[in-house]
Amino acid sequence: MEKSDILNHLAQAVIDMDVTRARQAAAEAMSCNMDPYEAITGGLAKGMDTVNELFENEEYFVPEILLCADAMYAGIEVLKPHFPKEAAPNKKKVVIGVVKGDTHDIGKNLVKIMLDNAGFEMHDLGRNVPYAKFIDTAGELNADLVCLSTLMTTTMDGMHIVIEDMKKAGIPARVMIGGGPISPAFAKTIGADGYAKNAAEAVKVAKGMFQGIQIPLAMKIPELVSIRKNRGGVR
Amino acid sequence: MNVAEEMTPKERMQAILQGKDTDRLLVSPLVLNFASRSLHLPVRSFCTNGRNMGDANIACFKRYRHDIVYIFSTTSTLAEAMGTRMYFPEDDAPQVETPFLQTREDITKLKPVEPEKDGRIPVYLEAVKRCVDAIGDEVFIVPVIGAPFTTSAALRGTETFIKELYTDPALIHAIMKITTQSVKNLIDAYVKAGGVPVTVEPVATGSMISERHFRTFVLPYLKEVYAHIHSYSLPGVLHICGKTKRVIPCMAESGADILSIDNIDLKEAKELVGDKVCLMGNVSPADGMLKGNPEIITNMVKDCVIKASDNPKGFILATGCEVPLKTPHENMVAFLEAGRRFARLPIHVN
Repeated sequence: MEKSDILNHLAQAVIDMDVTRARQAAAEAMSCNMDPYEAITGGLAKGMDTVNELFENEEYFVPEILLCADAMYAGIEVLKPHFPKEAAPNKKKVVIGVVKGDTHDIGKNLVKIMLDNAGFEMHDLGRNVPYAKFIDTAGELNADLVCLSTLMTTTMDGMHIVIEDMKKAGIPARVMIGGGPISPAFAKTIGADGYAKNAAEAVKVAKGMFQGIQIPLAMKIPELVSIRKNRGGVR
Repeated sequence: MNVAEEMTPKERMQAILQGKDTDRLLVSPLVLNFASRSLHLPVRSFCTNGRNMGDANIACFKRYRHDIVYIFSTTSTLAEAMGTRMYFPEDDAPQVETPFLQTREDITKLKPVEPEKDGRIPVYLEAVKRCVDAIGDEVFIVPVIGAPFTTSAALRGTETFIKELYTDPALIHAIMKITTQSVKNLIDAYVKAGGVPVTVEPVATGSMISERHFRTFVLPYLKEVYAHIHSYSLPGVLHICGKTKRVIPCMAESGADILSIDNIDLKEAKELVGDKVCLMGNVSPADGMLKGNPEIITNMVKDCVIKASDNPKGFILATGCEVPLKTPHENMVAFLEAGRRFARLPIHVN
């Protein structure tokens, strides 16, 4: 099979939410000795970019994105053993989570998927995350960006606390916020660096923040993340 | 509140439902857990005790005289009564902790709710009865029910559930059948207690699922619910918050008589479905009620009234979603005063 065919199959499997075909196409890519990074950037991630566009145009919704992401990650699992064991490219580090008091995490998960696909190194703290956990993790990782999410009006003020505490602790990371009750005006009031109304916009806002700084279009590889963590001396 | 008004909220609503003349439009901020503030109760003791829940709503009504008294704590109360485990923060609305249907096979354990004994439904029933006894002559007491799709999502876990719209549609329909029966059981119990039940379906919001999925998995069951409500000669009310532009035509086909909407322009909603349904909305809970001030809120109210008071099938001034717990008293007063001022009939907004 032609290389371009394989890449198209990878992309199309993601767009079609097809885990089985994503695995098959990834295996095909490896049997043709394709560079696994290329299989991702020119195949799986490219498919996910199309998914992002479909979401922006309101042709795809939340179930579609979750299933496309499942297909993408299934393909990556097949490619993973073939990655060369060397230092990861210099990706921007993002800490993401739903602030304390709130357990609604679908929106946060969508942003994580999309930023991951856009070449950011994602560190997901989950939901109902204590304020200090954001600050500690951002400090330990020397994070570039902290993403805060909430769906509830009762917990939105927690974002302000996180931003204030980050300043006090001297954490230089930028902050992007989003979620149901959040508005650009609120983001400005509490001193956030960015606001995104949905996952597609989150990619644009995050990329915009680091414009002029190269963001390699490669996926997160857990082993390499942990290698770098060890180098950074995580407690 | 010091407002000389001719009609009680109940008379006003009855007149509107019967198409008769009224003094003004209904002004109905979605006062839900916020009612707990009137007795200075933490939300947990408000929503787990029928006496507290009832008395706080009675006190809240006496304070604000809003046109509809809702009995509500979370959209997952019915799922909780059917087996989902909840987490109860000290002073915030309960949230889903562990969905009941952990595996596909757990469906065999899922039974329609028995309102008199399951979960916190008895708490709600007691609250409804207390309110009906104390203030039922003046205002309708309206318990809020999580509609079938929202209840099903809370039973299965929302993320798993919405993926199964593609991967396991048979399971979705099987769950939906049982939750629809539960919703009907609950309607029966609330009506018997003297309440006027309404339904909320936020998981089916336009920012979550497509119109195609709404038509396949949500609409048939909503139709069944409103047919059941209509069998009591009561109006069907459907609340969906978030973005609803894409699904509002389907909402209007459900048989609901009143659509309570949040993140959609009222003028657009009026053009799309105003000839079919009464609209209800949509002052912003966060930017208006919580973070705004009386001036901002007054302008938001005015904007809503200008856009929707001429809706062919009627208009109810409301907030787009729940009035936030920390809404300042003066903001609540500003909403009600602006509503009463601008919603006088005939409408003169200046």
